[in-house]
Amino acid sequence: MVPLENYLVLSGILFSLGVYGVLARRNAVLVLMSVELMLNAVSLNFVAFAVYLDPGRATGIVFAVFVIAVAAAEVGLALAIVIRLFRNRSTANVDEAATMRW
Amino acid sequence: MAEHAWMLAAVPAFAFVALTATGRHLPRQGDFVAVLTAAAVFALFFAVLASFLGLGDAAWPVLNSIEWTAIGSFELRMGIAVDQITIVMLAVITTVAFMVNVFSVGYMKGEPRYWWYFAVLQLFVASMLMLVLADNLLLLYIAWEVVGLSSFLLIGHYWERRSAVEAAKKAFVTTRVGDVGLLIGIILLWDATGTFNILDIFHAVEAGAVGETRLFVTMMFILLGAMGKSAQVPFHVWLPDAMEGPTPVSALIHAATMVVAGVYLVARLLPLFESAGGALMVITIVGLVTALFSGAVAFAQTDIKKVLAYSTVSQLGFMFVALGAGLVSAGMFHLFTHAFFKALLFLGAGSVIIGTHHHQEMGQLGGLWRKMPVTAATFLIGSLALAGLFPLAGFWSKDEILHAVDAHRGALVFLLISVASIMTAFYTMRLFVRTFLGKPQDEAIASHTRETGAIMTLPLVFLAILSVIAGLAVFHEVGDALGFPGGFGEFVYLHHPEVFHVDWGLAGFSTALFVLGAFAAGWLYRGGRLDRATALAEWQPRLYELLRRKFYFDELYQALIDRVVLGFSYVVSWFDRFAVNDTGVDGSAAMTGYAGFLLKHLQTGRVPNYALAIAAGVVALTLITLAVGG
Amino acid sequence: MGSGEAQGYVLLTALALPLLAAGALLLMPGSQRMAARYLSAVVGAILLGLSVYVFLAYQANGEVLQMQLRWPWIEHVGFLGENGISLHLGVDGISALLTLLTGVVAFAGTLVAWKIEYRVKDFFILFWILIAGVYGTFFALDLFFFFFFYELAVVPLYLLIGIWGSTRKEYGAMKLTLMLVGGSVGIWIGIFAVVHEAGLGTFDLPTLWEAGRSGALSADFQKVIFPFFAVGCGVLAGLWPLHTWSPDGHMSAPTSVSMVHAGVLMKLGAFGIIRLGIQILPEGAAFWMPALLVLGTIGALYGAIAALTQRDFKLISGYSSVSHMGYVLIGLATLNEVGVSGASLQMFSHGVMTALVFLLIGALYDQAHTRDLRDFGGVAKVMPLWVVAYVVAGLANAGLPGLSGFTAEFHIFVGAFRTYPVFGGLAILAAAIAAAYMLRMFAVVFFGPLNPRWRDLKDLSPIEAVSAALLVVSMLAMGLWWSPFTDRLANTVLSLPGVTS
Repeated sequence: MVPLENYLVLSGILFSLGVYGVLARRNAVLVLMSVELMLNAVSLNFVAFAVYLDPGRATGIVFAVFVIAVAAAEVGLALAIVIRLFRNRSTANVDEAATMRW
Repeated sequence: MAEHAWMLAAVPAFAFVALTATGRHLPRQGDFVAVLTAAAVFALFFAVLASFLGLGDAAWPVLNSIEWTAIGSFELRMGIAVDQITIVMLAVITTVAFMVNVFSVGYMKGEPRYWWYFAVLQLFVASMLMLVLADNLLLLYIAWEVVGLSSFLLIGHYWERRSAVEAAKKAFVTTRVGDVGLLIGIILLWDATGTFNILDIFHAVEAGAVGETRLFVTMMFILLGAMGKSAQVPFHVWLPDAMEGPTPVSALIHAATMVVAGVYLVARLLPLFESAGGALMVITIVGLVTALFSGAVAFAQTDIKKVLAYSTVSQLGFMFVALGAGLVSAGMFHLFTHAFFKALLFLGAGSVIIGTHHHQEMGQLGGLWRKMPVTAATFLIGSLALAGLFPLAGFWSKDEILHAVDAHRGALVFLLISVASIMTAFYTMRLFVRTFLGKPQDEAIASHTRETGAIMTLPLVFLAILSVIAGLAVFHEVGDALGFPGGFGEFVYLHHPEVFHVDWGLAGFSTALFVLGAFAAGWLYRGGRLDRATALAEWQPRLYELLRRKFYFDELYQALIDRVVLGFSYVVSWFDRFAVNDTGVDGSAAMTGYAGFLLKHLQTGRVPNYALAIAAGVVALTLITLAVGG
Repeated sequence: MGSGEAQGYVLLTALALPLLAAGALLLMPGSQRMAARYLSAVVGAILLGLSVYVFLAYQANGEVLQMQLRWPWIEHVGFLGENGISLHLGVDGISALLTLLTGVVAFAGTLVAWKIEYRVKDFFILFWILIAGVYGTFFALDLFFFFFFYELAVVPLYLLIGIWGSTRKEYGAMKLTLMLVGGSVGIWIGIFAVVHEAGLGTFDLPTLWEAGRSGALSADFQKVIFPFFAVGCGVLAGLWPLHTWSPDGHMSAPTSVSMVHAGVLMKLGAFGIIRLGIQILPEGAAFWMPALLVLGTIGALYGAIAALTQRDFKLISGYSSVSHMGYVLIGLATLNEVGVSGASLQMFSHGVMTALVFLLIGALYDQAHTRDLRDFGGVAKVMPLWVVAYVVAGLANAGLPGLSGFTAEFHIFVGAFRTYPVFGGLAILAAAIAAAYMLRMFAVVFFGPLNPRWRDLKDLSPIEAVSAALLVVSMLAMGLWWSPFTDRLANTVLSLPGVTS
C-alpha cells in the first residue's frame, strides 16, 4: 500500500502550487483556479487521513464532499463576479479591481 | 401650652401655604388673612407665656420633641425647647410681626404682588419663630436658611428694579458664606458630641467631650454664621443694600428680628463660647469694630433708610460686645428694646416715604414736623430711645451694656463703646433734625406731603409706647408685677440671676454721652441748615469721602469677586474646554482617528495583498507553533 | 417568600411594560401620532404607579433584598453551574428609591415629549427601550442581566440625541456614546474577571457578594479589578475628569432625553459603583475610596466654579450635574452609613431636580431659540409659573433646607466630616458656590426689567405644569419629611460590606 506520507506530500505540493497561483497570478480566473487547487489539496488530506487513520468511519470523506460542494458554489458565485467585473472594467486583472477600500 | 409652642410657627406656615395657593383670588388679595394670622400668633404668644410662667423655673426649659430619623447609630430628633431667651425672642417677633403686618396693609396698598408679599411675610414669621424654638442645631439651621430665603424674596420684591435684584442676591450670597461656617461648626459639634441637641451638647462639653482648641475652632466657624446673619464687619455689606425691600420688611426682618438671629445664636450658645478659650474676646472685638465702623459710616449717609441700616449694624455690634462680655442678659435686653424702637424708626421712615410719595433722601426732605405730626412725634421718641435718653428704653439697655463692659472688659473697651454711644446719639439726632425740623428743602415735595392714615400711624403709636416703657422691664418690681420671677436680669441669665440696681454714676455718664452726641448734631444741623456740616466735610474731604463710600468695602468686594472669583471660574472653564475636553477627550478621539488614517493605507483593496498577508500569517503561526511546541 | 415572589412579578411588569410598549408602538402606523403619545402617557402613568408601589411596599425593617424573583435561563452549561445565568430580580432600599425616581422622571419625561413632532413613534420606541434598560439595571440581581440592561439603557441614547437633538447633536451623541461604551468595556472586563476568579460558575449577584465578603476573591484581586468598575461606571456618573460628555451631551439632547439622562441614567453609574464595586469588591473599594473621594471633591468644586461664568442654561446645568454627582461620589467614598445614605438620597434629589431644570430649559428654548443668559431679563413678568418652578429647582440645587437637596447634602456632609473633615468642608463650600451661580442666573434671566423681545413668551403649558408639579412635589417631599426615605435606606446601607457606623 502506498504510504500515507506520499499523499501528504502530494497534497502539500498541490497546496503550495495553489498558494503560489493566488499570490502570483493577476488574472482573476487563474486566481480562482489556484484557490480550487488549495481546496483540493485539503480534500485530499481529508480523504487520506480518513482512509488511513479512521477506516471504520467516513467523517473525513464527508468533509471532502462538503468541500467539493462548497467549492462548486463558490466558483459559481466568484465567476459571476468576475464576469460582472469584466463587463464593467474590460479586464479581469485583480490589481485593477481596487475599489473596495477607504 | 408652652410645650405646644410649635403652634406659633405652624399657624403662619399654614397661612403661607393658604395665601400662596389662594391669595390672588381672595378679596383684598387676602391681606386680612395675614393680619389675622399675625394677631393670632401675637395672642398665642401670651398663652405660651402664661403657661411658661405658670410652670415655674423648675420646669424650664420646656421641651417637646419627636423621633425624626435613624440610620444605624445616626439618630435625629426634632423638637422645640422654650426657655427664657426663647420667650424674649418670641415676644419681640410676635409683637413686631403683628405691627408690621398691620402697617403693611397701608404701606403696600396698590403695590404689585400684594398677596405674595403677605404670603412671604408669613413664611418669614413661621421660620423665624421656628428658629428660636428649635431645640437642636439642625432644625435651627434649617429655619435659619428659610429665614434667609424669605429675606431674599422680600428684598427682591420689586424685582423689576435691577438694584433690588442685586441687593437680594447680595444678601443671600453674603449670608450664605457665613452659613458655610455655621454648617461646618454644627457638624463639627456633632462630630465631637454625637448630637445636634443643644442641651445635650452643653452637657457633653461640660463633661469635657471637646478639647479646648477644637472647641475654639468650632465656635469660630459658628461665629461666622452669626456674623453673616447679624451683618457684623466684614459681612455687613448686605444689610444697607437690603433697604431695597419694602420698608415694613426692613423694619421686621432687617431691624428687629432676622438680623438679631446671629445675636440670638451667640446668646444661645454662650456656654460653649465661654468654654472655648478666647472666643468671647473675639466676639467683643467683632462687636466693637462693627459698632464703631458703622456708627461712623452712618454720619455721612443721606438716605433715611441707609442711616437706619447702619445704625442697626452698629447696635448689633453693641449686642455682640455685651455677649462678648459674657452677659446674656445685657445682650438680650438690648436686643429686646432695640427691636421696638428700631422697628418704630423704620416704620416711621416708611410713613415718611408714603407721606412724601416715595422720597427718602434727607436732602429733599426737612420740615416734615408740621405736615406729619404723628409720624414726627413717634419718630422723635424712637430716636431718643435709640440715642439713649433717660428714661426711654434704649437708655436702660445701653446702661446694662456699659455696666457689663465696665465690669468684665476693662477701660479700653469701655472707652470705645462710649465713643460708639456718642456716635449713636449724633447720627440719630442728625437724622431727626434733617428730616423733620427746619424748612423743607424741596417745596414741590413738601406741598404734596400728607400724614398717613390710621392703619399706619396706630402701629407707630403702639411701638412708641413700647419704646418708652420696654426698658422698665429691667426693674425687679415691674417684672414681679407682670408675673415674671423679677426684672430682666433675673429672668434671662446664664449662671445666676442679677437684680438690677440703678448705678447713678453710670447713668449720669450715659446721659452725658447722649447730651454730647445730641448737642453736636443739634449744633451742626441747627434748624436743618447744612452750612456747618458742609464746611466740616470740606475741611476733611478725604475723610468725608471715606465715610460716604463706606470705607470702600463694596468696591473691594466687587473687585475681589470680579477679579479673583470670576477670574478663577474663567480659568476653570477654559481648562475644562481646552485641556480636559478638547485636548483630553477630543484629543484621544482625534488620535484614534489619525491612527485610523495611517492604518487605512494597509487596506489597499487588492485581493492579492490580502492573500499574501494571510499566507504570511499562516507561515508565521506555523513557525511559532513549531518553535514553541517543538 | 410567597408575597415576596408575587411582588417580584410587579418588578417583572415594570420591566416588561416599557418593552411591550415599544413593541406595540412598533406595530402601529407612524402616522398615528396622538395614539403613540396617549399610549406612552398611559404606560408612563402605570409605571409611575408601579414605581410608587415598589417604593412604598419596600419594608424598611424587613430583609435587605425584597420582591425577589428568579427565572433560570442557562444552567449547567460549560463552566456555568447552578444558577449560572438567571433573570434574578429584586430590590434593596437603594434601588427601591431609584425605582421611584425612574417612575417620576420617566412619567414627567413622557409628558414633556408630547411636544415632539418629528418621528413621534420612533422616539417613543427608543425612549421605552431606554426606560426598560434603566428599570432592568436597578432590578437585576444577576451580573449578566445587570450589564445587559445597563447597555440597553445607554445605546438608545445615541439615536435619541443624534436624531432629535439640537446644538452639535452628532458631536454630542457620538462623544457621549463612545465615552460611555468605553466605560462599559472596563465593566465587562471586570465582570468576567470576577466571575472567573470566584470560580462559582454563576453570574448571580448575591452569590458573588458573598464570595467577595468571604474572601473567595483575594484582596489583591479586588484592588486590581475595582478601578475597572469604578472608572467604567464612573464615566456614566460624571466622574471627574471623565465628565465632559455631560455638558455637551446635555447641550444637544432633546428635552425629555436630557431629563431622563441627567435625571436617571447618570445614577446608573453611581448605582453600578455600589452594586459592582462596593458590594462585590469590598476590600478593593476600601483601598480605592480615598482616590474616589478626591476625584469627587474635585468634581464638586470644579463643576460649581465652572458653572459660575457659563452663559448657556444647559451648560450651567451640565456643570452643576458634575458638581452634584461629585457629592454622590464623596458620599460613597465615606463608606459610613450616613455618607452612603446621603449619596443615595442625592441620587434621587439630583435626579428630580435636574429633570425639572431641563424641562424648564426646554420649555423656554422651544419658544426663544436661544439659551444665552444675557439675551434674557425680566422673564418672571411673562412666565411666572416657569420662574417659580425654576427657583424651586435652583434653590434645591443650592441646598436650601426644606427641599431635597439639603436633605441629601446634609447627610453627605455629616458622613464626610466623620471620616474626612477637610473634604467635608470643601463640599460645603461648593454648596455655597452653587447658591452663587444659581442666584446669578436668577438675577440675570428672571428678574430686572422685561426685555421687550420676550413680551410674547408663553408660560408652561398645562401638560408641562403637571409634569413640573410632580417633580416639585418630589423635591418637597424629601426636603420636608425625609424619614420615609432614610428609613428605607438604613438597613440596606448598613448591610453593605465595609460600611461602618
